[in-house]
Amino acid sequence: MSSSILTARNLSKVVTSTEGELTILHDLSLELISGDSLAIVGRSGSGKSTLLGLLAGLDLPSSGSVVLAGNDLARLDEDQRARVRAEHVGFVFQSFQLLDSLNALENVMLPLELEGHADARQRARTLLERVGLGQRLTHYPRQLSGGEQQRVAIARAFAAEPAVLFADEPTGNLDNHTGERISDLLFGLNKEQGATLVLVTHDERLAHRCQRLIRLEGGHLVDHVEP
Amino acid sequence: MNHLPFTRLLSLASRQLLRDARAGELRVLFFALLIAVAASTAIGYFSTRLNDGMLLRATEFLAADLRLTGSSPSAPEQISNGKQLGLEHAQLVEFSSVVASDAGIQLASVKAADSAYPLRGQLKSAAALYDTEQVGPGPQPGEAWAEARLFVALNLKPGDSIEVGAKTLRLSRVLTFLPDEAGDFYSLTPHLLMHLDDLDATGVVQPGSRVRYQELWRGDSEALTQYRQSITPTLAPNQRLEDAKDGNRQVGNALGRAERYLNLASLAAVLLAGVAVALSAARFAAKRFDASALLRCLGLSRKQALGLFSLQLALLGITASLAGALLGWLAQLTLFSLLQDLLPAQIPPGGLWPALAGMATGLVALAGFALPPLAALGRVPPLRVLRRDLLPVPVSSWLVYGAALLALGLIMWRLSLDLQLTLALLGGGLVTALLLGGLLLLGLQSLRRLLAGASLPWRLGLGQLLRHPLAAAGQSLAFGLIILAMALIALLRGELLDTWQDQLPEQAPNHFALNILPAEKEAFSTRLSQLSPHPAPLFPVVPGRLVMINGEPVRQIVSKESQGERAIRRDLSLTWAADLPADNTLIAGSWWDEVNTSELPGVSVESELAQSLQLKLGDRLSFSVGGLNRDAVVNSLREVDWNNFQPNFYMIFQPGTLQDLPVTYLTSFYLPPQYEKQLVELSRAFPAVTLLQVEALLAQLRSILAQVTLAIEFVLLFVLAAGLAVLFAGLQSTLDERIRQGALLRALGAERKLLITARRAEFGLLGASSGLLAAVGCELISFLLYRFAFDLNWQPHPWLLLLPLIGALLVGGAGVLGTRRALNVSPLTVLREG
Repeated sequence: MSSSILTARNLSKVVTSTEGELTILHDLSLELISGDSLAIVGRSGSGKSTLLGLLAGLDLPSSGSVVLAGNDLARLDEDQRARVRAEHVGFVFQSFQLLDSLNALENVMLPLELEGHADARQRARTLLERVGLGQRLTHYPRQLSGGEQQRVAIARAFAAEPAVLFADEPTGNLDNHTGERISDLLFGLNKEQGATLVLVTHDERLAHRCQRLIRLEGGHLVDHVEP
Repeated sequence: MNHLPFTRLLSLASRQLLRDARAGELRVLFFALLIAVAASTAIGYFSTRLNDGMLLRATEFLAADLRLTGSSPSAPEQISNGKQLGLEHAQLVEFSSVVASDAGIQLASVKAADSAYPLRGQLKSAAALYDTEQVGPGPQPGEAWAEARLFVALNLKPGDSIEVGAKTLRLSRVLTFLPDEAGDFYSLTPHLLMHLDDLDATGVVQPGSRVRYQELWRGDSEALTQYRQSITPTLAPNQRLEDAKDGNRQVGNALGRAERYLNLASLAAVLLAGVAVALSAARFAAKRFDASALLRCLGLSRKQALGLFSLQLALLGITASLAGALLGWLAQLTLFSLLQDLLPAQIPPGGLWPALAGMATGLVALAGFALPPLAALGRVPPLRVLRRDLLPVPVSSWLVYGAALLALGLIMWRLSLDLQLTLALLGGGLVTALLLGGLLLLGLQSLRRLLAGASLPWRLGLGQLLRHPLAAAGQSLAFGLIILAMALIALLRGELLDTWQDQLPEQAPNHFALNILPAEKEAFSTRLSQLSPHPAPLFPVVPGRLVMINGEPVRQIVSKESQGERAIRRDLSLTWAADLPADNTLIAGSWWDEVNTSELPGVSVESELAQSLQLKLGDRLSFSVGGLNRDAVVNSLREVDWNNFQPNFYMIFQPGTLQDLPVTYLTSFYLPPQYEKQLVELSRAFPAVTLLQVEALLAQLRSILAQVTLAIEFVLLFVLAAGLAVLFAGLQSTLDERIRQGALLRALGAERKLLITARRAEFGLLGASSGLLAAVGCELISFLLYRFAFDLNWQPHPWLLLLPLIGALLVGGAGVLGTRRALNVSPLTVLREG
């Protein structure tokens, strides 16, 4: 039986604003085993990104718990959570989030170096070749198109062979054709590495490539589909 | 939206500004401006007021703010003119006359003054010889005060009568201090002060007699300037106007240097302020690219968008300038009240000009540095709302920064009124910046190769620098400029103070002894060496007048109001010497030890006098000495250090040329203040010798130096504060990018320690290179300034090599501190950004 890699129990997130308290996530639980892929869909403001942030340990819930690769995130401080992310987590963002000061190769090397891999350069090069950017290794983000930047970001996300990959609207900033190619790449690499994929998206077609799908509305889980 | 009236644009701009302010968007720019204006206002007030205060002190040497002197009485309208302007007035007539008593006669320098004299400074006198001196008004009609040496020479005591011409006066008190004679060491005859009302009765002043008429004026500077302007065209050839700066050479020199230094320091503050404003204005513009694109999408024309942001900037500038001027004014008030004891009692309030200049500084710096990036805002393509990577087309940066530099140069020049200093500072800064900026760029490029094998934190930190080498070079230059300005001000402070201290050593001679007879020479010298450790040598003196140059009467050659004119108006102290005196430097010709080929004896002439009299080597000078004519040929020209309180001479003859004439000796020496009694004894033992105390002048100079020192320290503090403000403004301008980067690295799993190390590497290197730039620039500019502005000797300063280390620590520390927000930012930000 596959073990659980990511468990969320009774997650709630409440923020305080000038107009009082606002609950943006209500009592949400889910469990993912290795190799699972989960799509989180919903309208803007439904709490998708908040949930992603909590699952990845970028933020802490107001109540409830997240256990990621055996680590109860609420019990860790920010630096300890960072270590967990470095070891087990990869990210792909809508706006690519590459470091302007590093070239493509260095951007991909980054998570490997954070983890202390000796062969970071070689692995990064192989991955960039895998995503079709073998000729653009020394190019800086500014010199790359949106699709190319996202491919660098995907290579970076898979570089450290994470147990869980979080992707936040990975095709949101791209045209249909490029978006299609990026999602192929994402799912292909995910399959190769056997990572767990958590994907936030508006794109129903992309969502349906995942094994499971949850739909959020006003912070509530309204639909849970397991095809 | 083609018809957007100005009032709507203004209200839109002010509402937008308020919103931005509430959101904390304007903090950096506002504070950069605030500090810029506050620093230049405070320094402006401080130097203006201190300068006025020091000038006020210096006016005591004239006994007035402004003095009109002439060899004939002033025209009635020259006097009524000043009175109409509301100036206070005193009248003084000076002449030499024989004073007679039953015991004999003595030549005296007589001053006949009205009751208003002196308008500045105080008269001091004593009830009896060697009694304690008191401050008070001058003699009444019918009375006279005389110096102790006149009492001694004529064997008089207070209460006795003397005759000045046809008038008999009662010698009521012993004159101990005349403010306007404190600087004149060379008056050979004792002074007598009498009331102007008695002058006619003496019958001494006749047409053709040698008399100096003085009109003394006192009042506010505006009225004085007006008076000066109105009277200058009416001056007769024999009339001259003097103010405190002309009045005394030593004080004038000290004031001049202090003024230049304070100017320099405020210019440095202005320069720093400009950099701070430039950095934060660029950020202001960059943060408004999106807003500008949106407004263009909403239908605002390019001109309107530009107008909107310009108005915002103008409103911000005016608010910050007003607040800054107020802050600067309060800062200097606080300082003056803290330093009350050290400063002159009366310090003029300084007027509005420093505040206006401070505000202008802020606004011009804002316009010069903020308008270029603002102009870019107007050119943001509306498409940016869809494609955030679209940036406005840049204007030629040469044009932009050329305009900004020109604006800055104009302010600096207006503030200092010193083109040379402005150009040295600005030109030196610019040349240094260009040269070193280029070198820095090359250095950064070669660093890239080295860096490939470096560890992650170094690559992260330095990658930031290498990614934008031009920006990094610019930043390094900006920080370098701060360190340079601070180092330069510190350097000059030390150097100027040392120079002044050297001029006025603790035991500078504070007494002069004149009229030592040849028969008493040995005895006096022996007695003096028991009292004072290192008296100056005894110089022979023969009074003589220069009458002809190359056979032409000297009066026809010399222009009015020149130093030469002053020198030939009275007897000069002629001397001879076998060796060149200490502190004299030969600049032309040769000293006596080389063969004198001329038939006539040689004479060495002080260089400034020589220039004023247009003398050159080989000119033939005729002197009238004791009724005889003596000729000599100009053999050499000497520079003389007039600040050294030693006997100095305009004319030094070859030994053997004047010995046959009646000679007396002159020396100077230091006597501790508690030796008052010994001084009286010395004076009694050698009644013919004239002892002059110059302690008052020395004390005055020392107090001016103390004030200047204080001012310099205060100004340095301000420059430091301005420099740090710039540093933080510079860091703020890159903060957004750093926050994003910090959040991303945290999301990817980087620990805080790694981020801190990367920051340290980045800012440490930035600081070290800034320090290196500063060290090189500082040497270059100090060389120019010493050479051309301060007239000091330049030597290399090895301690400047510490600047790279200081820079690394300062910028490194401030960098980590100033960007700690980027370290503490929640990694969640990366999701929000998306």
